Amino acid sequence: KSINFQPYIFEPVFVKQKQMEHKEVDDEFSDITLRLFDLSDIDDFMEWATDDQVSRFCSWETYTSKEAATNHIVDVVIPHPWYRAICLKDRAIGAISVTPNEGNDICRAELGYVLGSKYWGKGIVSRAVQMVASTVFIEWPHLERLEALVDVNNPGSQRVLEKAGFQREGVLRKYFLQKGKSRDAVIFSLLSTDPKVNSFM
Amino acid sequence: MDSSRISIRPFRLSDANDFFSWAKDDRLTQYLRWNTITSREEALKYLKDVAIPHPWRRSICLDDHSIGYISIRPESGDDQHRAHVGYGVGVEYWGQGIVTMALKMAISSVFKEFSYLVRLEALVEEENKGSQRVLEKAGFQKEGFLRKYGFNKGEIRDMYIYSFLSTDKIV
Repeated sequence: KSINFQPYIFEPVFVKQKQMEHKEVDDEFSDITLRLFDLSDIDDFMEWATDDQVSRFCSWETYTSKEAATNHIVDVVIPHPWYRAICLKDRAIGAISVTPNEGNDICRAELGYVLGSKYWGKGIVSRAVQMVASTVFIEWPHLERLEALVDVNNPGSQRVLEKAGFQREGVLRKYFLQKGKSRDAVIFSLLSTDPKVNSFM
Repeated sequence: MDSSRISIRPFRLSDANDFFSWAKDDRLTQYLRWNTITSREEALKYLKDVAIPHPWRRSICLDDHSIGYISIRPESGDDQHRAHVGYGVGVEYWGQGIVTMALKMAISSVFKEFSYLVRLEALVEEENKGSQRVLEKAGFQKEGFLRKYGFNKGEIRDMYIYSFLSTDKIV
């Protein structure tokens, strides 16, 4: 059964946006790698999983116990078909996943990502998304479409996708029902045939 | 078409012959996920195994004879506030506003039956202009064009996505 994990980051709009866009990625934050999760990442996982700022646009409730977080890693993260830790100097600071559809719809998969709030605004998720975009179509030759759904009120996350070359296709009204409130979602897609943004600079 | 002749109701096994007469037509099933029915036995089996047990599938009837169907399928778990709409009607009944009428009946009925339902959505292939018109006339809003969205009958196809919300007005 495919897991519907839709985490998004939120970059506060009032932070010097224009400066962020033109600024080069800090050397300190350019050593980004993706790898599989391990139970030993649990404490690092808890850093963002317990943060209300992070869960704000996500479908999950902020975690309050290490046990619940451990269960999530064991039951969802480790068996997932494509789930990676976003690492800075090999420490997990977030996660990125590609969730395929079933049956004939395996031509389509959904991208999701989450990042610890103290790492926001440094182009880290952009880099991670670009890394995924340039490898997932090779790893999964049957994949034709990678899509992402972002809350309309999350412009930072929308920019991440635009920078990675995703195309904005429309707004799906009341697509999400999260924490009792319905939210509109912007749908983006990247096709296997679309040009990929090269993040390895 | 006189709207009093059009109704929607659950399928019955006795609909098998009528069902077979439209479900055997490739021109109808080409855009649908299910395959053309090739015999009366298959038609009966399909009604028994799929159409009748379905959470919400209705026969579109003309004078109480089945000429098509409307299907509404909620997503599972956390997404059950969203449901997918599918429909089809015999080729000889196209272009008479029948599906639009049936769709409007279905919409008002289904939002009452499933109080947690917020959003109905329909995916239509680009070249299926007739189906796009049906949705637009029924008050669905076109939201976007989804590239290489789904696989059907051997090809990956582009689709338009439409929606109708519980708060939208039935035209």
